[in-house]
Amino acid sequence: MIEISPEAWDLMVDHAQKSYPNECCGILIGDEQAGLRRATLAVACRNAYEGEQKDRFLIDPRDQISAERQSRELGLGVLGFFHSHPDEGAYFSQTDLKNHWPFYSNVVMSVRGGIFADAKCFRVDVDQTASEEEDLSWPKS
Amino acid sequence: MAKILIPTPLRQFTGGADTVTASGATVGELMGALLAAHPDLKKNLYNDEGKLRSFVNIYVNDEDIRYLSKEESAVADSDTVSIIPSIAGGR
Repeated sequence: MIEISPEAWDLMVDHAQKSYPNECCGILIGDEQAGLRRATLAVACRNAYEGEQKDRFLIDPRDQISAERQSRELGLGVLGFFHSHPDEGAYFSQTDLKNHWPFYSNVVMSVRGGIFADAKCFRVDVDQTASEEEDLSWPKS
Repeated sequence: MAKILIPTPLRQFTGGADTVTASGATVGELMGALLAAHPDLKKNLYNDEGKLRSFVNIYVNDEDIRYLSKEESAVADSDTVSIIPSIAGGR
């Protein structure tokens, strides 16, 4: 299970809505104890995909380096990533499956008409052939 | 010895270490030293042809080695090498 802090969640929703109608992307930082992941910090990243960003994203690796440094300085770790699906549901697509790593929690946010609608979280298996939904808790959910 | 930052999913192959030090004058030499010490990393970073997997990015400090000299890129002891998972997707 992953729990998103109010501060992190506010940033994620804001980033997803401001990026609409394009996909947003970002990084979740926090810790894990007894199987509970707590994302205390979210980092909004640049969508570095060169092409139509309404249905694609690529996290800028330079933002990942910066987030990795930040997480280490705070004694935390990168728990996963988030991205949005404008005017689509919060599902894990085949494109997502092929381009995400195991271990990480991957939050997908549905944004409809520019307003946040729903979110789900997924983890990828070691072969990147299947994803499994992970319990996701966010403020007011 | 240069520092290599290990991303969380790969720490299971480095005995839990988030940072590993290794010697080498180039990225290729450094990665060779890393794999010699932690052989289980190999299948996660390289394909069957021995080439770096496309979803693995390697940075020397803030520079992507694809825009330097790839695995021939020079590394100094004071450098930090980051292994960065490429994360992408979409509908």
